[in-house]
Amino acid sequence: MAQTLSSAPSPGPLEWKGEGVTIAQVLDALTDFRNKFAQAQVPDDDHPHPRNTVMTLIAVAATEAEEKRAISESTAIAMHHPSLVIVVRDQAEVKEGRIDASIAAPVLPAEGGTDLPSHYELVTLHVRGAAASHLGALVDPLLVSGVPTNIWWLGTPPFGTHELRDALQVADALVVDSARFARPYHSFLGLADTIAHAHKRLGMADLQWARLDPWRESIAQFFAPVARRPYLSGISEIGIDYAGAGRGNRIPSATLIGWISSALGWKLQRAVGGAGGVVSAQFEADRWRIVDVAFRSVAKPGLVEGEVGTVRIVGTAGGTTFRLSIARAPERTRRQAPDLGPAPFQHQHATGGEDDAGMEIAQRKAAQHREMAFQNRDSLHHTATGDPPGESLPPRPTVFVRERRRADNSMVLLTLIDIGGADTLRHVQRIESDDDASLLVELLALGAHDPVFARSLAAGAELMRAL
Amino acid sequence: MVIFGATGDLSGRKLLPALYNLAKQRLLPAGFAVVGAAIDDLTDDAFRKRASAKISEFSRTQPVDEAVLQSFLDAVFYVKVDFSKLDDFKSLGRKLDDLDHARHVGGNRVFYCATPPTTYETITEQLRASGLNSGDGYHRIVVEKPFGTDLKSARELNKIVQRVFHEDSVFRIDHYLGKETVQNIMAFRFANTIFEPVWNCHFIDSVQITAAEEIGIENRGAYYDKAGTLRDIVQNHALQLLALTAMEPPVEFEAGAVRDEKVKVLKAVRPLADDEIAKATVRGQYTSGYVLGEHVHGYREEPDVAKGSLTETFVALRVFVDNWRWAGVPFYIRAGKRMPKRATEIRIQFNRPPHLTFGRSAAQELDPNAITLRIQPEEGISLKFGAKVPAAGIRLRSVAMDFLYASSFLVEAPEAYERLLLDCMIGDPTLFTRADEVEAAWTLVDPVEAAWRDGRPSLQMYAAGTWGPLVAAKLLEADGREWHRP
Repeated sequence: MAQTLSSAPSPGPLEWKGEGVTIAQVLDALTDFRNKFAQAQVPDDDHPHPRNTVMTLIAVAATEAEEKRAISESTAIAMHHPSLVIVVRDQAEVKEGRIDASIAAPVLPAEGGTDLPSHYELVTLHVRGAAASHLGALVDPLLVSGVPTNIWWLGTPPFGTHELRDALQVADALVVDSARFARPYHSFLGLADTIAHAHKRLGMADLQWARLDPWRESIAQFFAPVARRPYLSGISEIGIDYAGAGRGNRIPSATLIGWISSALGWKLQRAVGGAGGVVSAQFEADRWRIVDVAFRSVAKPGLVEGEVGTVRIVGTAGGTTFRLSIARAPERTRRQAPDLGPAPFQHQHATGGEDDAGMEIAQRKAAQHREMAFQNRDSLHHTATGDPPGESLPPRPTVFVRERRRADNSMVLLTLIDIGGADTLRHVQRIESDDDASLLVELLALGAHDPVFARSLAAGAELMRAL
Repeated sequence: MVIFGATGDLSGRKLLPALYNLAKQRLLPAGFAVVGAAIDDLTDDAFRKRASAKISEFSRTQPVDEAVLQSFLDAVFYVKVDFSKLDDFKSLGRKLDDLDHARHVGGNRVFYCATPPTTYETITEQLRASGLNSGDGYHRIVVEKPFGTDLKSARELNKIVQRVFHEDSVFRIDHYLGKETVQNIMAFRFANTIFEPVWNCHFIDSVQITAAEEIGIENRGAYYDKAGTLRDIVQNHALQLLALTAMEPPVEFEAGAVRDEKVKVLKAVRPLADDEIAKATVRGQYTSGYVLGEHVHGYREEPDVAKGSLTETFVALRVFVDNWRWAGVPFYIRAGKRMPKRATEIRIQFNRPPHLTFGRSAAQELDPNAITLRIQPEEGISLKFGAKVPAAGIRLRSVAMDFLYASSFLVEAPEAYERLLLDCMIGDPTLFTRADEVEAAWTLVDPVEAAWRDGRPSLQMYAAGTWGPLVAAKLLEADGREWHRP
């Protein structure tokens, strides 16, 4: 995807802002940008370069935090992959219709002090009112013809609504992060429905699925040697430990089971959800054999809710028993409360600078309350909403935004292999952290068309529905 | 040049600015003068003032060059003409004679009918009656589309005009033909060796022609409600694009040769049989929706449109060109108002390779090769082909190679009217439609129009800001294809 950038003089950083504008005005400004860019290229070799893009990335953000994240990640991507990025801050709930827009074509600093012209255009649209519900019509005029259009929905897409269907009409791919869904269970099923009914050109990807790669690779590696292939037909049990309580936190586990079951052609027979986050399911394999699958919620230091902690696969083939156990090595201490920034306490209780001791006590108490509120936040939320634990997250805006994923997702996987009476084989593998931008690029490079994900998602959703 | 309807919209927005820009480029002939003719009671100075304002507002080149503008306005005159009064035409004749003497233009005259088609007959008859169609120099008439409302009326109109002017002196303007990108279709096909060998049914799977506008009918409700998109866009612009895409190479780039080939293609288009029309055509009308982020009314809420109007604002159809080159290749035409954006393009989609060397899974992201000729905006050409994704193993994806007019040439493309007005003065009718072309186009459109009047197929509604009714997508889906998103 990378593009060689010209060494011609840059037109300099370009910026445009408009309040209460129309999309036609944004389009005019964008065209003006491109003309300036092309003109600035002329001294190079008298053969101007068009402003190339390899894709249009539409990032839909519901909050300011999401908008900032979208800009930051898409800028990281655009440094290497020339793109038109449209960040839409969707504020459909605001009655007064209005579009505020900005365009930036930053200059990228290069080694040696010379700036490179950037093949990156960032369009930001703050859309209030009903127009925000017509995303397709809003962004379609701005799209670059002939290059893929990808939508990255940072929060929870409005599954099953006209708004999403309309948006997907202009898209070649939809990328979501099911770890950030506000109502994970319902949204996960919505995602599965969307992928089943989307137009055939549409690719769909989930960053959470990409984060399961190390697990899938480790499992696949066990069965990769030719001598172990028959073991695939001998699997009798699979157990998964996951963190957190409630069905919303079972999504990665269910998708992982969906991946295995759909690959091996297993059919779900029954599934039961019990207390303590326990799930028991039975699949029929090879039309006669039963495979038992169990999930359980196990608190494990260092894991955030929903993360998979352990996968165990047990079976027998050709008179030999085998057991594969892949576990997250405990490497971190308990999760810290998020940094909430400078406390507003001092502003609320100004002392005039005379009572420092009293202020210190007050600060400590405030910090203690914040920590307690954070620790008890789930029970407070679930008491207030009536939703089962893990079912939903507190609505935005909220101070205590709990992440279902960590900023640093590096991990150590410990694999134990027992085959027959042989000694246990141990393998320790460190998985380096992948940020969202890297995962996004990886998914989009292949057009987000991943039939393996599609069938794993469908099978995972079937299991979740059966509970 | 005499402009009938000189105080109207076309004159102010297009003709006068185009003539000014020709003057700026020093392309107007020596002694050239414009005589505005309309019903309004204006003096030369009042008309010049009006012309000056319109040129300043609508000129392609900004800011206007005051010296050039002043010099141009010195050659602008006005005569009040009521088209029903012969005396007014005689007055016009006297004015033209005066200008002949003063400016030594040798009696050369171009009469431009920037008026509704209903006036063409009256104007041509009055020109004949007043003797303005003969004498020293050339005498040419320019008429705007639509040329009639059906085959019958087009034939009658041709007869009337040809009674007064020889066919070589009749210039029927379809301004699409004046666009650089439209002319470039011929350059692309016939000035390169690599495309023409694959430009046939052995390599091409299908052709899509899209003419989309984001605007509605603006203030043309009264006209549009009678015309509809089939007559307003498909009969002329879209079929002209089809003809240029499908025509055989002319022997030379000369009016007769080019127009002969275009007519051959239009005559080779298989007229839709009565029972095919319901399956191969789609007609739609926009309802309220969001275009460019703004809420817009539905067609029936537009001024001067009947409340229960059944006029189409969207057309999609599939036709075949029955000749050796195009046998079996469908041409899909789509035109509409209140689409998500303005885009006119021709997309040539090629067949898939006969054998998937890299396997089905490696090529699942791979679209067939395609050439997109973008007529407007972002004028240019794009070639889509497959490439290997840089990674281990073989996975293929489609990538595009682009040519953009805006960044490949250091000159701005002239307005279509500049080119066409100049050609008319030079006497080159290559980019104008001939009578038999117009009639061939109506021959194709008339049966569709007749079936639609009988409600076959039924009118489909689509929300403004979308790419038309769902059945338009199904038209292609049924053939295993889909519309290209411009």
